[in-house]
Amino acid sequence: MMMEKLKERKASKLIGYGIIYTCLIILTLFTIYPILYVVFGSFKTNQELVLGGSNLLPTQFNFSNYIEAWKLANFGRYTLNSVFLSTMVMLGILIVSSMAGYCMARRDFFGKEFLYGLLISFMFINIGSVSLRPLFELAVKINLHKSLWGVILICIGMGQATNIFLVRGYMASVPKELDEAAAIDGCGFFQTFYIIILPVLKPILATVALLSFRGAWNEYILAQVFTMSNPAMRPLTAGVIALKSTGDGAAAWNIMFAGSAMSIIPILVIYLLASKYFMTGLTEGAVKG
Amino acid sequence: MSTLTSGFNKYKSKLQNSKGIKGGWDIPLILMMLPTIVLLAVVSIYPFMWLLKYVFYDYNGFKTYFIGLDNFKRVFTNDPIYWKSVVHTFEYAFLKLLFTMPISLMVAVVLNHHLKGKNLFRIIFFIPTVISAAVYSLIFYFIYSPYNGILNNMLMEWGWITAPIDWLGSSAIAMSSVVIVAIWGGFGNYMILFLAGLQSISQEVYESADIDGASKVQSFFQITIPMLGPILKVVLLLAITTALKDYQSIMVLTGGGPLDRTQVMFLYVYQLMFGNENSAAGQLQIGYGATVGLVSSIIIGIATAVFLKLSKKLDNIY
Repeated sequence: MMMEKLKERKASKLIGYGIIYTCLIILTLFTIYPILYVVFGSFKTNQELVLGGSNLLPTQFNFSNYIEAWKLANFGRYTLNSVFLSTMVMLGILIVSSMAGYCMARRDFFGKEFLYGLLISFMFINIGSVSLRPLFELAVKINLHKSLWGVILICIGMGQATNIFLVRGYMASVPKELDEAAAIDGCGFFQTFYIIILPVLKPILATVALLSFRGAWNEYILAQVFTMSNPAMRPLTAGVIALKSTGDGAAAWNIMFAGSAMSIIPILVIYLLASKYFMTGLTEGAVKG
Repeated sequence: MSTLTSGFNKYKSKLQNSKGIKGGWDIPLILMMLPTIVLLAVVSIYPFMWLLKYVFYDYNGFKTYFIGLDNFKRVFTNDPIYWKSVVHTFEYAFLKLLFTMPISLMVAVVLNHHLKGKNLFRIIFFIPTVISAAVYSLIFYFIYSPYNGILNNMLMEWGWITAPIDWLGSSAIAMSSVVIVAIWGGFGNYMILFLAGLQSISQEVYESADIDGASKVQSFFQITIPMLGPILKVVLLLAITTALKDYQSIMVLTGGGPLDRTQVMFLYVYQLMFGNENSAAGQLQIGYGATVGLVSSIIIGIATAVFLKLSKKLDNIY
């Protein structure tokens, strides 16, 4: 009697696991299929792409799409632009948010709560696409629209709040005695930050760096607006999507596939190497903040 | 020893002094906070002020005319496309949440158990979150393509359909196609948030429920959901506000078409301010776009407030 029940339980457990794994595998296929489609598709000839068909794999791997995109469609330039944009935004956000996070965690100053409130409320005030216009016109006025610096500064400004909160939250776990000891040794406020605190902040700064790099690498609309009249400044995202609306739609499928792959593969590799930081960045920012 | 204490006293008095004189602001602090304050002023506050001014103007990118409240009159009495887009925005957000929330929660609950390969699944499901929404929408644009796209070709080969379906061009299914892309791009994000919430529930609760004879399903509804209450609220809030302001993916997939069937609020604003593929630069309606943008933000604000009011219960359970 007892044995039978146990057996029954075991069997139903097995069936349960079977169902769970089946669902997970279906979801996995759903998730990775579009990525495999574009990566394998980027090795197909344009003829094969336009003919369609239901094959995921190319009949033979050829790299000519990448060569063509890189040389003829300006994707070499777009890649450089993306790397430049993302690196600068990352450095900018690292500098700005680590300094502000440290100040807001360690000092009491007039207007701190007000500033804090402003940072939070502008995270929630959604004027969405509206702010693009004034920022674009401002950039034109001060001549920042001819380079990527306008996009870089705006990306830093839009990304700073979340990252300041990440740093500030992390500072709470850094003992104040560390600052005091540094002060006794004669360090000033900035020196303490630079010599003592920055090395301690390394783990959270790794998260900040990855999140801000990803944000800038994936930025599309801002980059698209700012490079509308200046195609040479386009990063990969804007470059590849601009091809969609140019006249020769179907003729450029192979270039668009190669371009999309060029845009997603680098960030995917970074993610696979450091997935932990991407996920903690999300949860620390949202659940605690 | 004496130098030490005097050094410390100097530091202390410095702190106190600076507090007394300028409300705590000294030169290093000013220099370190300056970038943040300037960026906040330029990137966040300035556009907001600009918006408040231009809602009263007619502005086409070259000339501005003060027109008082005409823009508001037009929004509320004479713009069916906008109100259609409001309905579509809520339809889109509702459908997106209807599927993403249960999927993410279920997957999170499953992956919170000791399961072989759970880390691998976690990493895979989070992938869509790290790539550009614009680029994955472009990929789906290829997949959905009626004649060359792989989706129709596959379905036809399996014999499920006989003629190609125009996934993005038919007004009957365009919205569903757009929502599928949104689900693909969103569920991994919320899964990770739910997982973080689940990890804060102690295993002992489940063990004692198990001893008392509760089934897995029972403990899910009686323990997991109530204990997740506060986090569920935060995640829902995030999901709602994000879904209501989404427009990037739709812009790439359909541009709001066919016949405005997938037009959403902020895409409409964008097209008023920067034009769409078919309009020339002279047709921009920037002042009106600002007005539509303001009204849309207020609508989102109201939706958020309603949600917060309704969800008060989620806080009280635990």
